[in-house]
Amino acid sequence: MNSEPKNTDAFEPKIVAFVCNWCTYLGADLAGTNRLEYPANVRIIRLPCTGRVDFNLIVKAFEIGADAVLVSGCHPGDCHYTAGNFHARRRWNLFRELLDTVGVDTNRVYFSWISAAEGAKFQSLVTEIVEKTREMGPYEEYQSIVAEA
Amino acid sequence: MAKIGVFTCWCGENIARNVDVEAVSEAISKLPGVACSMDYKYMCSEPGQSLIASKIKELGLTGVVVASCSPHMHLNTFRKTVELAGVNPYLVEMANIREQCSWVHTDKEVATAKAIELIGMAVAKVRRNAALEPIKVPVTKRAMVIGAGVAGIQAALDLAAGGVEVILVEREPSVGGKMAGLSETFPTLDCSQCILTPRMVEVGQHPNIELLTYSEVEKVDGYVGNFKVTVRKKARYVDIAKCTGCGSCWNKCPKKVPNAFDYGLGNRTAIYIPFPQAVPARPVIDADNCLRLQSMKKGKELCGICLKQCGTDAINFHDKDELVEYEVGAVIVATGYKLYQITKEQENPKLQGYGEYGYGKYKDVIDSLQFERIISASGPTGGEPKRPSDGMTPKTVVFIQCTGSRDNAKGITYCSKICCMYTAKHTMLFKHKVHDGEAHVFYMDIRSGGKMYDEFVRRAIEQDDAQYHRGRVSKIEEVMVDGVKKCRCYGADTLTGKPCVVDADMVVLANAMLPSSGVTSLAQKLSVGYDGYGFLSESHPKLRPVETNAAGVFVCGACQGPKDIPETVAQATAAAGKALIMLSQPYLTREPEIATVDERLCAACGACVKACPYNAISIEEICDRKGNLVKMTSRVNPGLCMGCGTCVAVCPSKSVDLIGFTDDQVYAQLESLLD
Amino acid sequence: MENELRNAIRELLEKQEIDVAIGYGRVGVDGAVGAVFVTSPDDVEQIVWNDECRQNLAVHLTRPEVKAFGKIGIVVKPCDARAVVVLANEAQVDLDLLTIIGVVCSGIKRAKPDGTTADEYYAKCETCVQHTPQNVTLVVGDVAEGEALDAKNEQNAATAGNNAKLAKLRAMTVEERFAYWREQFSRCVRCYACRQSCPMCYCNRCVADKNRPTRIDTSASLKGNFAWNILRAFHLAGRCVGCGACASACPAGIELDLLNLTVSDAAKEHFGFVAGTEFGVDPLIGTYADDDKEEFIR
Repeated sequence: MNSEPKNTDAFEPKIVAFVCNWCTYLGADLAGTNRLEYPANVRIIRLPCTGRVDFNLIVKAFEIGADAVLVSGCHPGDCHYTAGNFHARRRWNLFRELLDTVGVDTNRVYFSWISAAEGAKFQSLVTEIVEKTREMGPYEEYQSIVAEA
Repeated sequence: MAKIGVFTCWCGENIARNVDVEAVSEAISKLPGVACSMDYKYMCSEPGQSLIASKIKELGLTGVVVASCSPHMHLNTFRKTVELAGVNPYLVEMANIREQCSWVHTDKEVATAKAIELIGMAVAKVRRNAALEPIKVPVTKRAMVIGAGVAGIQAALDLAAGGVEVILVEREPSVGGKMAGLSETFPTLDCSQCILTPRMVEVGQHPNIELLTYSEVEKVDGYVGNFKVTVRKKARYVDIAKCTGCGSCWNKCPKKVPNAFDYGLGNRTAIYIPFPQAVPARPVIDADNCLRLQSMKKGKELCGICLKQCGTDAINFHDKDELVEYEVGAVIVATGYKLYQITKEQENPKLQGYGEYGYGKYKDVIDSLQFERIISASGPTGGEPKRPSDGMTPKTVVFIQCTGSRDNAKGITYCSKICCMYTAKHTMLFKHKVHDGEAHVFYMDIRSGGKMYDEFVRRAIEQDDAQYHRGRVSKIEEVMVDGVKKCRCYGADTLTGKPCVVDADMVVLANAMLPSSGVTSLAQKLSVGYDGYGFLSESHPKLRPVETNAAGVFVCGACQGPKDIPETVAQATAAAGKALIMLSQPYLTREPEIATVDERLCAACGACVKACPYNAISIEEICDRKGNLVKMTSRVNPGLCMGCGTCVAVCPSKSVDLIGFTDDQVYAQLESLLD
Repeated sequence: MENELRNAIRELLEKQEIDVAIGYGRVGVDGAVGAVFVTSPDDVEQIVWNDECRQNLAVHLTRPEVKAFGKIGIVVKPCDARAVVVLANEAQVDLDLLTIIGVVCSGIKRAKPDGTTADEYYAKCETCVQHTPQNVTLVVGDVAEGEALDAKNEQNAATAGNNAKLAKLRAMTVEERFAYWREQFSRCVRCYACRQSCPMCYCNRCVADKNRPTRIDTSASLKGNFAWNILRAFHLAGRCVGCGACASACPAGIELDLLNLTVSDAAKEHFGFVAGTEFGVDPLIGTYADDDKEEFIR
């Protein structure tokens, strides 16, 4: 078990994940069923499809203090709704560019395809996101504009 | 005022081991709107559910959060629990503190803190849940089957036997599909036509089946239980009500063209039935080749022999395509397969063909379906094995398996599944007709799983002396040996480790199976998913093998993936059974978690209309009582919407929202995470 | 050319091919150029054409009180003409009721803070390679002159105007960019002049004005200003024609045109999509291709 001494001051990244109900949510469930341990920093919001994930939700996630955001759905061709993930993918292509332009670090915004069978992928990706975000530190930049009236 | 009850489950030790459930319960009780926060060993057990019900009644709860396992596990359980206790089932949310917390985090302090946050999110959401009623939609007790090969025939007959009216649509002039052209079938060597033609006659005569041959699906509107399918009945130029099928027209027609039913090996006339046992036994005129119809384009009236021959006045050179709309409750797709035409230009850029085999260039290199015709008693050679180039009886025949299949470098990764078996059959049929012949088979592995299948292959090898070489053929060359044309096959036998060159009189290629052409455009009309090759996607490979993700649309046969006749028939019966179950309901209930438009504020820009994967959204007019247009708006058809929410994300003004996952709910979940 | 324009409009009005002409006129107390609505051939002298015609008049086409006129003639610059195409593609205007009067434009000059005109073209005009309007009913002006300007600008497109600014922005670190926009957005007072001047902002109620839930902080806080400007830029994805009306309307001088350009640029780069070049085109957002890029998706 976790034998390292706890440092209460240590930075614990806050990760918000918008996941689709049919693939990635089930992938996360499978990680659980298989007891694949990963850091406890991710908060999953279950939506029917990545097609439902409006870009403004990502902005909102940063506003409530997220240090990184993950949006994850079914692999191309596996969408429960045939094409929701394709629509999402097109939007992400452009939204990433916009975020990058306004100076929101795209290293804090992750997109992935994780199927219901990929519990291990969910585990490793979340672990990686948490580690990388921990290295980058808290998203103070965005928090500073939130704090400013 | 919200009175939310939160019920946190221990799941025995599953949750409680890593989450301090009592501390969670205590912390949650302090959240605004929470009227009670309880914990219990097994919330899904009978006493657990009773606890929830009793608290609902005692406190008049307006919403319930169950913090336990995944909603995929028990959301329906708890929806029923609260419904029985008098609360709308959609006023339940689950917080997944097992799969996504206690099972993946071992630090109890951390996991406990996370569980509290997860439950807090669920509480924030459930406070904004709406009471919903399932949507009831009526059902038209009629089904359409698309494709009348053995799969479609079987499905239609089963549906008809179940008392359902069936519209059976076939784009060729006759039912029967690929199976009607096969010689004999493995592993019993019974004659394909002998077993199929009685069933073809049955679909032609069944009072519950309306047969539409030479017809194609043009357009699909509507939704589960209430489809409106427009079928294009192609101009046949023969009135099948008047025609008796006597045959005097096609016997006298002067224009001969290659018969597609014989894969170009034999000829037919311009007015024709594709094969003698065709159902309906009524001819069609091939407009591209008919002398009269072609001359009419130039304002002349040539030929017309069939018109003179016909005693019943059935020929109509002015026939036109006709569009007919059918209302059906369910659709079964059974459009079958085609062979990978390895030299032709491919629709799919991944497929590059096998130019090195000379297929299409050398007349004696043929595919397996052509061989079926050559060896078939009803085929162009009357069942005498004769090679196409010069009619000589081939003595040495090379069979090459996996032509295209299982070759990722050439674009197809899958196994076509039936080739090992039919190749074994081909060697037998050949040897039964040419006793001194040699049958050489080049194979990668022999895949013969199935009842009496491996025994069948052994028979081909051991009794009929088929020569099996494990290895592939790299090239085929046409050469002259002692004045006779040969197809020289440069192969390898990897078991002996030696090159293996065979001079064959004829080569038969087991080309890969592909879904028949046009299936992807049909799939798009029906909103059915398909893979990179165009094979239609079933809902679940194991548990929902004949359903699709388009409600009310079922699949069977080779359009879903390569399979043999027994499997196809089993799947067809399964699809018919599933359709019968659906059509036997007085009405269908659908999940109410669908999109809804605020019609006052929608600007009718149409973004959602384009984005909807189900064509469930349309632009409509809102008029006042006098019929004057007030404004335009998009509107969601609740029968069609599947609740993906793609429309919500593309709507700039958020005039469309997804019930059950509204922006109000999702933003509340996010806000709850604010430190 | 001004006279040519007036004559064309007079003729349309006289022949009753249009019920109203939306054009530019000196409408402000100080003679500033804005929209005029001319319904009588006798009033066409109100119409002007010069390098102060900053507004995109297409913004008026979606308003019910304008639609009530019936048959509309509208004066458009080449960039504005593309906005009309987008509006038509989004079913916001009825082309049967529209006469699109395109003027060959040689560039529009920036306004000084005091309202007078500076001797400096807008950044978008310095890189504009379409001085002759496309997809219009009639063209007024010297097409040859327009084409000459296209050719001239083609050469300096990469190194001038907004393209140069964009290149500079891209050369910054992500932190520098954030600081850049932080400074820009800190000036936003949320007057929504950008929204008001933009033909594409025709929603019946803007999402920023909806409060259940409040998706965007409505106060002029930095948080709300970031969210608002990101939101508007993305709502213009595949729709913005780069007319620059928002930037010229912004009282705080925020480089909104530059922000929008990054999305248009990405749309062109990723999907070969340019807004408003063709009637009957499906929207960029709301459609997809099987082979849309996904190398950034894990």
